[in-house]
Amino acid sequence: MLNIENLHVTVAGREVLKGINLSIEAGKVHAIMGPNGSGKSTLSYVLAGREGYDITGGKVAFMGQDLLQMAPEDRASAGLFLAFQYPVEIPGVSTTTFLKTAINALRKKRGEKELEPVQFLKLQKEKLTQLGMDPEMLKRGVNVGFSGGEKKRNEVLQMAMLEPKLAILDETDSGLDIDALKTVAEGVNNLRSPTRSFLIITHYQRLLNYIKPDVVHVLARGKIQKTGGPELALLLEEQGYAGFYGDGEAA
Amino acid sequence: MSPTANFMQKEQTVAAALPWLADAALLEKQKSPPWLRALRETGAEQFAQTGLPTTAREGWQHTNLRPLTSIKFHYSTEAVKFDARKLPQKLLEQSDCIVLVNGQYQPHLSTIPDGITVMSLMEAAEKKVEGLEEYIVSLGDLQEAPLKALNTAYVRDGIVLKVQAGKEIRRPLEILLYNTGNSSHAPAIYPRILYCLGDNSTLTLLERHTGEGVYLANSYTGVVQESSSCLKMYKFEEESCAAYHFSFFSLQQHKDSIFEGFSCATGGQVVREEYQNQLIDSGISSSLNGVYLLQGRQSHDFAVLMDHFGPDGKSAQHFRGVIDDQARAIFQGKIHVRRSAQKTDGHQSGRALLLSDQAEADFKPELEIYADDVKCGHDAASGHLDEAALFYLQSRGISKAEARALLIQSFLNAALEHVTFAPVKKVYEERIRLWLAR
Repeated sequence: MLNIENLHVTVAGREVLKGINLSIEAGKVHAIMGPNGSGKSTLSYVLAGREGYDITGGKVAFMGQDLLQMAPEDRASAGLFLAFQYPVEIPGVSTTTFLKTAINALRKKRGEKELEPVQFLKLQKEKLTQLGMDPEMLKRGVNVGFSGGEKKRNEVLQMAMLEPKLAILDETDSGLDIDALKTVAEGVNNLRSPTRSFLIITHYQRLLNYIKPDVVHVLARGKIQKTGGPELALLLEEQGYAGFYGDGEAA
Repeated sequence: MSPTANFMQKEQTVAAALPWLADAALLEKQKSPPWLRALRETGAEQFAQTGLPTTAREGWQHTNLRPLTSIKFHYSTEAVKFDARKLPQKLLEQSDCIVLVNGQYQPHLSTIPDGITVMSLMEAAEKKVEGLEEYIVSLGDLQEAPLKALNTAYVRDGIVLKVQAGKEIRRPLEILLYNTGNSSHAPAIYPRILYCLGDNSTLTLLERHTGEGVYLANSYTGVVQESSSCLKMYKFEEESCAAYHFSFFSLQQHKDSIFEGFSCATGGQVVREEYQNQLIDSGISSSLNGVYLLQGRQSHDFAVLMDHFGPDGKSAQHFRGVIDDQARAIFQGKIHVRRSAQKTDGHQSGRALLLSDQAEADFKPELEIYADDVKCGHDAASGHLDEAALFYLQSRGISKAEARALLIQSFLNAALEHVTFAPVKKVYEERIRLWLAR
């Protein structure tokens, strides 16, 4: 589904990703763990197509397409979804309008008919209930006045509505209390299917107690330093990242 | 300044003003009551003292009228010739409509609802309509408003509209001010419009200013709202892209009356809309909001004064500008709270969204407060589209163009949400959509 080969990325003249290799098959959940500044968020933004990153080498294939050549909206319609670490506030655009515009834009690009208002509202209500969200939130501006937990739930709501093939969750657990964490994890687990993959980016092992990964990678100093099974996450929780800085350097 | 220099400068001003006043002599041949002749003379004298305002003049720093001086505008007292089939359609299906072409009232193209009387200004003057002279003469300080003085020097065209006391006019009334000119004959148009709303009456007006070719539209609108009347006035400034539009709007509001105004400005080359709302008695609500959508080298100036005389008044100004290319938006909003206007609640807000590096916004909010128990606030800001928000929308599959449109619409909505008459709000939204898709 996703194939990253020797990806090098520079931000403002500084090389942040120094040759990432990563391959995710359909239906698999991969986790990337790493300390602050290891390049985790850069990787998620580069995959989603944000501007301001110089790709100095390597390639990324998504569903057989050259991902790095695609506009962000085309990546979304191809089935890529990024749950933002810091969801953006958009005053004046209600969450409902936002969701409806997004879902119909995707459908249109895929050659499907736009959803009837009734169909849309039904779908929205169903997903909202699953995530235990207050319908009042939908009337407010996107993420405006939302608590940290509400913002993250809103990301999962969008993911549930847009039904991506690959969902990247960038530090979705940060700023969540244990109840919110469980709800968010449950939202993700409900979406797991043999045709949908996840890339979960996190600093802590905590979220992985609720979303069981198939593969765990350790990202440090712009490179994947180690790859293993779920047990690798537990090891990190115990020993910290000190042993994974590569090149023998300390943090 | 020495007396000689002062004299020299005055001579220069008179010389610069003369071409603008040359055609006023045509009016001397027209049959008019003496008070109207006297008024024209006062207007001409006042304008001769100032000439066209330059950018050195207070309040005119950002609106440059120099381009006007290279065009020879003609004023004519003859009936305007036009093709009625070329007039634009009404904005709403369910509405009445009054048509003015180059400022001249066209009764045969107009439909007037019950409860309203409309006549041309000269007809009203001839028939000695009660209070007309008083309304028209009470102009305020002409020296402070050179273009109002110029309009006064030519006062003849336009209409007087009266709503009977106690009448609730359900059907919206459209006023179409259509202007036509071309570069070989660019008309100067000086309509004078008077709206009088009797006690407890209500009216919804759509004032549409539009046209084709080169012309100068310099209008003066006087409005008197008697006690507990309610006026909703929705303006569409859609003048031809080669036109110059200057409008002066003077509103006198009496006890417990409500005014809701909105202007959506997309047209004209150099435009200034000046509003002076006087909240004369107690319990008055006055709200004036607007959006401008500018491109090319357009320049548009909203100059608004909310003048609180009576207590317990409420005023609001919400303006939003979307400025592209080398266009320029100016907002000068002022709340003036007199000593007698205790418990005033006044708010104004002006924001500009700059879509290009050469677009410009000059927003100047101003408060002048003499009462001690008031609540007044203002804010002004300008900025560019939020790149993070744009990317967020794109990452959800929304195209860049659609994402931009969504963000711009939501930005404008902060002004548009104050339009309480839904059918007009829809028309405004459609105007914005068309502008964004241009």
